[in-house]
Amino acid sequence: MRAFIGKISETHIGALLALSYLLFSAIFWAYPFIWLIILSFSDWRFFDAPIFSGLHNLVVVLSDPEFWGGLWNVARFFSIYFPIAFVGSLGFAFGLKHVGRGKTIIALCFLLANISSGVAFSLVFAKLFSSTGPINNMVFSWFGFRIPWMSNPTLAMLAIALVVAWKFIGYYGLILYSGLQTIPKELYDAARLDNTPPIVRLVRITLPLINAQLIMVLVFTILVSFGIFTEPYLITGGGPLGRTNTPMMIIYETAFRRLQPSHAAMMSVIVAAVSYLLIRITRKLLEKDVKLA
Amino acid sequence: MITTSLRKLAGTKSAGSWLITLAMYGLALSWLYPFVWMVMASLKPTPEIYTTSLFGGELSLGNYDFLFSSATKLNRPFLGALGISFGVTIAVTISVLVTSAFIAYALARIDFPLRERFRDFLLLQMVVPTMMFTLPMFVLIKQLGLINSYGALIFPSMMSGWGIFMMSQSFKGMPQDYIDAAKLDRARLWHIVLNIVVPLNKSIIAIVALFTFTGTWDNFLWPLIVISDVDKMPLSVLLATFSKHYGVYVGPVMAGAVLQTLPLVLLFILFRRHFLQGMSLTLK
Repeated sequence: MRAFIGKISETHIGALLALSYLLFSAIFWAYPFIWLIILSFSDWRFFDAPIFSGLHNLVVVLSDPEFWGGLWNVARFFSIYFPIAFVGSLGFAFGLKHVGRGKTIIALCFLLANISSGVAFSLVFAKLFSSTGPINNMVFSWFGFRIPWMSNPTLAMLAIALVVAWKFIGYYGLILYSGLQTIPKELYDAARLDNTPPIVRLVRITLPLINAQLIMVLVFTILVSFGIFTEPYLITGGGPLGRTNTPMMIIYETAFRRLQPSHAAMMSVIVAAVSYLLIRITRKLLEKDVKLA
Repeated sequence: MITTSLRKLAGTKSAGSWLITLAMYGLALSWLYPFVWMVMASLKPTPEIYTTSLFGGELSLGNYDFLFSSATKLNRPFLGALGISFGVTIAVTISVLVTSAFIAYALARIDFPLRERFRDFLLLQMVVPTMMFTLPMFVLIKQLGLINSYGALIFPSMMSGWGIFMMSQSFKGMPQDYIDAAKLDRARLWHIVLNIVVPLNKSIIAIVALFTFTGTWDNFLWPLIVISDVDKMPLSVLLATFSKHYGVYVGPVMAGAVLQTLPLVLLFILFRRHFLQGMSLTLK
């Protein structure tokens, strides 16, 4: 009898605990979500009640060259950031596998960048990259010129990509490393017996077997590309000429500087939908269920 | 001869591996360069930061002194901001840890109705891009009258679906015997969670704690939007506005950057073992 009562009350407590989170989500997740949808299809300037305006916001946003510029900047950032982060983290994972003593300390040095302050290091890197900063001083003393990090659009984007890559290569690398650890050694021994060249071993054995981890890293790089705010906001301020302006910066400016929250809401919906769809497509095209027979 | 001793030192077996080990040590050191530069710059007078070598020049704590005394006169109260950052971050982290642990225990170990639906809901929340919630969350906070209050920084982050999910994945792998034994002793739920579940899952709890702390401490966009009063700004935003308006004071800005980084680095070093163990858990 006592056990019966105990079981019932435990089930109740479980349900109550879950309910507490559902209540929290209703207030801080579902309610804002509904507001987002309402704002996207209405005219609102922070004060009076929102007035339904149909697809007006969509038309305004889609005819805004700055918004398209922001999306194009995502593509530009990704095309610079992804190769750096991908090659860097693969190199880190393979390198770490060969390290004999001190794997932990090396991993920790790289991961320290990952948990560090984005705000602080945006400011630090802005100084490091500045025209009289240490990087340019070194380049100048060796080659006799300075790199215009902040005035050239591509170099400015590269600077931001390098900062973000510095932050994430250790994290991505550890993801790939954990994948490498699961590959059985016997597979390589067999390949070696067949005299398979290293590059073939990499492409035919290693990469397919860490497919899941590679996709995870790819998805993270896409998410970062759409979501960055702190680094460009503090390092370049979106310049030169808006060429490092990211969607999050444009949404922030539109809502809180130009006081057009309903336009910004529509932008948020579009950007979120595009990033979500891209990730779904990536998964569909590249994700393979690799099994060891 | 040299190569063999180097190989021994690096602890590697195959030839060539010691070279990679050496290169990895070199890279790891170069990864720390921005930290070292930041700390050294924060100890030098501003005019000497760009002109002296990394470890050269006169070192003093003048920039920190400036940050805590003169900056306050420039309406940039850094000491207060440091306190606000600590208060808000600790409140959020404790709240997330406690709520996540209990709800995760329910999700992993208690058979309540619609449990699987609840798990699906958590997964759904994790795939919906969070970036689109910033603006409507501002609307909610405005309606609640919490603009320019600490509540705006704390309440929206008091629970975490990610934290619940991560902990429940870890709690599932725990041997049931421990819990059964405690139940035989008629231990109450809070006793089971705090005295049995938590000590057995330290790594994942350290991970959730560290990421929650870092995410809250270093959050920039959200406090930038909801706090406009300099007396209520957390350190991340105050530092950014200080750098924007008084950017010529490079030394004090770097001292602020050190303050903003220090708690994160200390926590990371303190929890490093749990962190690496927990990482392999979250990566699966």
